[in-house]
Amino acid sequence: MTRKYKDELLKFSFIVPALLFFCLVVVFPFFRGVNIAFTNWNGIDMSYDYVGLHNLKLLFTDTELLNPIKNTLFFAIFTTVFINVIGLGLAVALNTKFPGVNLLKSFIFMPMVISLVLAAIIWRYIYSDIFPTIFHTDGGLLGNPTTVMLGISIISVWKEVGLAMVIYYAGLQTIPKDMYESAHIDGAGSWTQFSKITVPLLMPAFTYCIPLWIGTGLRQFDYPMVATKGGPGTSSETLAMYVYNYEFPYFKAGYGQMAALMLFFFILIVTVFVTNYFRRREVEY
Amino acid sequence: MNTSVPIVQIKEAPNRRFPKLLRIIMLYIIAILFLFPFYIAIVYSIKTPVETAQSPLAFPTHIAWSNYSDAIAASNFFLALRNSVLTTIGTVLLTITVCSMAAYMIARNNNRFYNFFYYLFMSSIMLPFQVLMFPLYKTWTELHLLNTIPGLIIALTGVQIGYFAFLYVGFIKTVPRELEESATLDGASRYRTFFSIIFPLLKPINSTILVLSALGAWNDFVVSMIIVQKKEASTLPLVQFQFFGEYTSEINMAFAAIILSMIPIMVFYLFAQKYIIGGVTAGAVKG
Repeated sequence: MTRKYKDELLKFSFIVPALLFFCLVVVFPFFRGVNIAFTNWNGIDMSYDYVGLHNLKLLFTDTELLNPIKNTLFFAIFTTVFINVIGLGLAVALNTKFPGVNLLKSFIFMPMVISLVLAAIIWRYIYSDIFPTIFHTDGGLLGNPTTVMLGISIISVWKEVGLAMVIYYAGLQTIPKDMYESAHIDGAGSWTQFSKITVPLLMPAFTYCIPLWIGTGLRQFDYPMVATKGGPGTSSETLAMYVYNYEFPYFKAGYGQMAALMLFFFILIVTVFVTNYFRRREVEY
Repeated sequence: MNTSVPIVQIKEAPNRRFPKLLRIIMLYIIAILFLFPFYIAIVYSIKTPVETAQSPLAFPTHIAWSNYSDAIAASNFFLALRNSVLTTIGTVLLTITVCSMAAYMIARNNNRFYNFFYYLFMSSIMLPFQVLMFPLYKTWTELHLLNTIPGLIIALTGVQIGYFAFLYVGFIKTVPRELEESATLDGASRYRTFFSIIFPLLKPINSTILVLSALGAWNDFVVSMIIVQKKEASTLPLVQFQFFGEYTSEINMAFAAIILSMIPIMVFYLFAQKYIIGGVTAGAVKG
């Protein structure tokens, strides 16, 4: 009996290191954050009061939240659509043999390996120096409040299209070639083959990619932070930046933490919903 | 009997050839467009301000290597490089060790107790870092881990555990049990069995996790930005971020700093390309 008990303990010890780090970085801060969300803590003082759902009420009546919501939704939808459409298109186009095909794949994936900070900085100068030289435009997309989110979204598309491409490409490799052959003999054109064979059989890749980019889009922080710091004014502030601003520069930790929690629930609901939508459309063959 | 196949091919060949060529040319143009920002970064890094102002696009007539020496001097480049290397190595080693061990027991014990930990780890995949940002910052302050490399390593490892343990569990389930059973019969301890029999069998997934966590740690900005606010522990992305705030007038030098910090990850990409692309697609598509 004691030997069995000892073995169970030994087995459990395999999990302990991961659990320790996980609790320290994720579990403990998460619950601490939930606690902070119900206080009026400024983040510095020793004392604070519990204010119940007051922060939640403030959050839902804050009209300044409309702009970050609009920006975040724009970014999430724009990047999800363009990254997936272009990525899928490139994967299908590159799914043949020709000289240099692997090199092209490496080139298109290359922006994915550099840091986002570098990507954003390089693009800042492309918008401000290069675009005016080529297209004779002025100022650049990032300097204008109405186009700044478009400018930021384009950076993200450039950087991440390669990832979508390789995921769809890997998905294409799992589709048996003879399906296309028999469809071809049956007289199906390339569009019919794409919509009737490629798309349905690629559903697992869609189930992975689309919620992934919606999720990252909705919590976007890095691109606007590095490219514009939320500016001009607050015109490129996203929800994640709104959270950051309240927790750090504005010293309203309680309120910021409540906003973070709401952002989490929002992302969770959207991603679960979207994932289920695509999962139901996966087919067996 | 099978005459229909050659007929189709003969009919198709001539009118498909041209669109295919056109498609290849288009793909080459797209690839060049993708590389264009890299070209700009390189050209800017070797130009003088005068030449940049005259023609930002053109290749320079005189290569101004001094941008690079200035950048190294001004940005504490080697300190940041050292911090990035240490952080990345630490995060990768820690991630691989703790995730593979935990995933091994979760994959081999399909009971309620171990499933609980599986779902606990998995639940963090959906969690945006913004939820942890502030409480983590406060916790790290109290533990004196703020502005330290170990503090950054632990934080980066912690936020990645969920996803990487998930990838490990999926892989370990495909590894047959026979080998470890015979090892147990031979009297090897569980740790011995894991480290000398199971762990070497995990080579494909280990290399996947290695490249993914290395890329993640090397390029991380958000977590590092919260944990590190002092120069002593700043990694390359943080230094780049600050550098561009301070040296906006000296863009050529700043771009030299960009190229310098890009070199290590580009070399890594060239050598580990197969694993990087294999890694990012792992778990994405069911085979």
